[in-house]
Amino acid sequence: MNDVKNISKNINLKAALSVAAGALFGTSVVTALGSQAKEADEWQFESAFLVYSEKDRVSATEAIIAGSKTFDNDEVLNLKLTIDALTGASANGAIVQPLAQTFTRPSGNGQYVTPAGETPLDDTFKDTRVQINGQWTQPLSESITGSVGGHLSKEYDYLSLGVNGNLAYDFNRNNSTISMGLSYFQDTFTPEGGIPKPLSPMLIGDSSSPDWNAEFAKTRISDSEDKSTTDMLVGFTQVINRRMITAFNYSYSMVDGYLTDPFKVVSVLKADGIAQEYIYENRPGSRVKQSAFMQAKYHFDASFLNTVADVSYRYMWDDWAINSHTLDTRFTIPVGATSYIEPHIRYYQQSAADFFQPYVIDKLAHTHFVSADYRIGEMTAVTVGAKYGVLLNDGNELSFRFEYYRQMPTDSGFVDVIGLNSLHLYPVVEAVIAQVSYSF
Amino acid sequence: MPNKRKVELRQNKDGYSVNFTAMASPCEVLIQTQDKSIAEQVAHCVSGEVWRIEDKYSRYDKRSLCSEINNNDGKRVVIDEETYLLLNFSEQCYQISDGLFDITSGVLRQVWSFDSVSGECQHFPKAVEVNKRLNLVDWNSVKYDQHSITLPKNMELDFGGIGKEYAVDRCILLVKAITDKPILVNLGGDLAVTGPRTNNQPWHVAIEHPDCDALGQPKDMIVALNQGALATSGDSKRFLINEGLRYGHVLNAKTGWPIMHAPRSITTVAPQCIQAGILATLALLQGAQAEQFLTEQDITFWARR
Repeated sequence: MNDVKNISKNINLKAALSVAAGALFGTSVVTALGSQAKEADEWQFESAFLVYSEKDRVSATEAIIAGSKTFDNDEVLNLKLTIDALTGASANGAIVQPLAQTFTRPSGNGQYVTPAGETPLDDTFKDTRVQINGQWTQPLSESITGSVGGHLSKEYDYLSLGVNGNLAYDFNRNNSTISMGLSYFQDTFTPEGGIPKPLSPMLIGDSSSPDWNAEFAKTRISDSEDKSTTDMLVGFTQVINRRMITAFNYSYSMVDGYLTDPFKVVSVLKADGIAQEYIYENRPGSRVKQSAFMQAKYHFDASFLNTVADVSYRYMWDDWAINSHTLDTRFTIPVGATSYIEPHIRYYQQSAADFFQPYVIDKLAHTHFVSADYRIGEMTAVTVGAKYGVLLNDGNELSFRFEYYRQMPTDSGFVDVIGLNSLHLYPVVEAVIAQVSYSF
Repeated sequence: MPNKRKVELRQNKDGYSVNFTAMASPCEVLIQTQDKSIAEQVAHCVSGEVWRIEDKYSRYDKRSLCSEINNNDGKRVVIDEETYLLLNFSEQCYQISDGLFDITSGVLRQVWSFDSVSGECQHFPKAVEVNKRLNLVDWNSVKYDQHSITLPKNMELDFGGIGKEYAVDRCILLVKAITDKPILVNLGGDLAVTGPRTNNQPWHVAIEHPDCDALGQPKDMIVALNQGALATSGDSKRFLINEGLRYGHVLNAKTGWPIMHAPRSITTVAPQCIQAGILATLALLQGAQAEQFLTEQDITFWARR
């Protein structure tokens, strides 16, 4: 009577049911295949697509996919792949002139002309970067967690390799954590056209002439240059109560090697304010950066819409005389049961490096180190934006972020002996950032 | 029925617990938070979802979609996407079980009625009665697509084999969207968790022994669950004894008869409750080979005989 037919042993029941249940709930099959009692071993993925676009300048598109998996004994593996494509123009460091200006491309192959009254931009920026990060984290004892990781980033003319290690110690019934981290990066820069000789004048002329290559080579010192970065970090995290958590970090960073930007020049002006030549910038061969960071997160109750406030402040200082203040504020406000809106405001203020100069004057001995790169000049920058996130029926999160960035370089006390229009010396940079993320 | 629906919320040392009754079972939700507003949201969400599924798919409720399909005299009934997906899932279970799992097998209960109090089958059916019903068990003759279903006259759908487990998984998905606090959803013994408890501690779940009221019997088993779901199939309280043979309540959709020599209950673990439920049911349908079947399929289980 009990004619029970055995289910074919060839069927992998667990896998077949995972697929069926995945279709039923619209959940990922990948996450459903693993997972058993006593184990928490599902892959979780996050993906994002980001567009960054500066007005009239560089625009970047970036795709990120990150996965994390937790193994039997609470080991966690994180893998992240980032691909970005950069196109557009970047300021070459020279200042605006009442006349058209001609520049040689960094590769030495040809020239480009900036019209009168416009900020000189090198429009040859086109690069794709592939970046891979891997991190392994595991408990070493009841209260100590260890983590090691590797980093590889490759673009056409740049290679960066890095390793890191971290230790975290939990105490005070896991309400306090002390962490220490160490990382080391080795970067190699191989720009097309080689590394320019610092402070040498940019060769401008007929790049198709027979002497050009030999003359251009005289302005080069090598094909590639290296730099190494060592970072040390000490952190302390303290749970204040069930609504508030605080974190404090101190980091010390040493960078050695080639820190100059081979694509940046400095205008050399005559007394009448007209550029007579452009010299390649020169930065010191080392930089020591330190920063102190503090953060507080507070989860308000229903009287304040269950908002989570996240406020942080960073003070950074280095031996180039750059110091900066960053104040970053986010409010995550739940909207209904499954979505949230997150306004974001970031304020950034930085002082100039001691060798920053928007231009140099003919006949005046220019200091050994000089750069007109606006990124190391005095500036104030503001980012305002918001993110909207929604949890879909299948438990996956979809979010959209839109931000506006405005960078306003300011006068750091540079003695403008010629008396140029300050708008020309310190052009504003504006950018928009749009991002779509999906976690599954 | 709705007027009897009540949700109790209680605070305890570890957080909040929610109790209500649905699908003829005691239901419990544990929320590891001291935030009452979160607990209230979760309680409202889970009870609402379970009752919604009960109202929609219970074959005992005359107003349910299930009853509408079952009582439509072979005519087409419009369905929504959720129903379509459930039918698809049932189809896949039918395929992978080679027809042993069949949601049209509910009609067999008309001849196998287990008393709700004593658990005994009052009336041991004759083979001819069983065979008459067996003609109405045939998933293959059910026609459905994304928008409608047509069930041959007198046939019945019974979502009882997957409804509770489906509700557990739906609730887990919904509560994860409300909070990341650890939550356990237990609908009459079929349960799932959103993840480990705080500090990565597992949930300790007691599996009731089928004969727990009997003296001298082993006590409940405690299972540690970090992630995923547990479901139990088999029920010592529903059985029949005929000519000295004990029959369980799980019916073989191919023969129309209860399975013999099956364990009293089987509890399995899977990422989702609905998977655990199907695995446990399919194992019971293997009768004496239940344990062997699960072992061969590399499935974590606890069986009681």
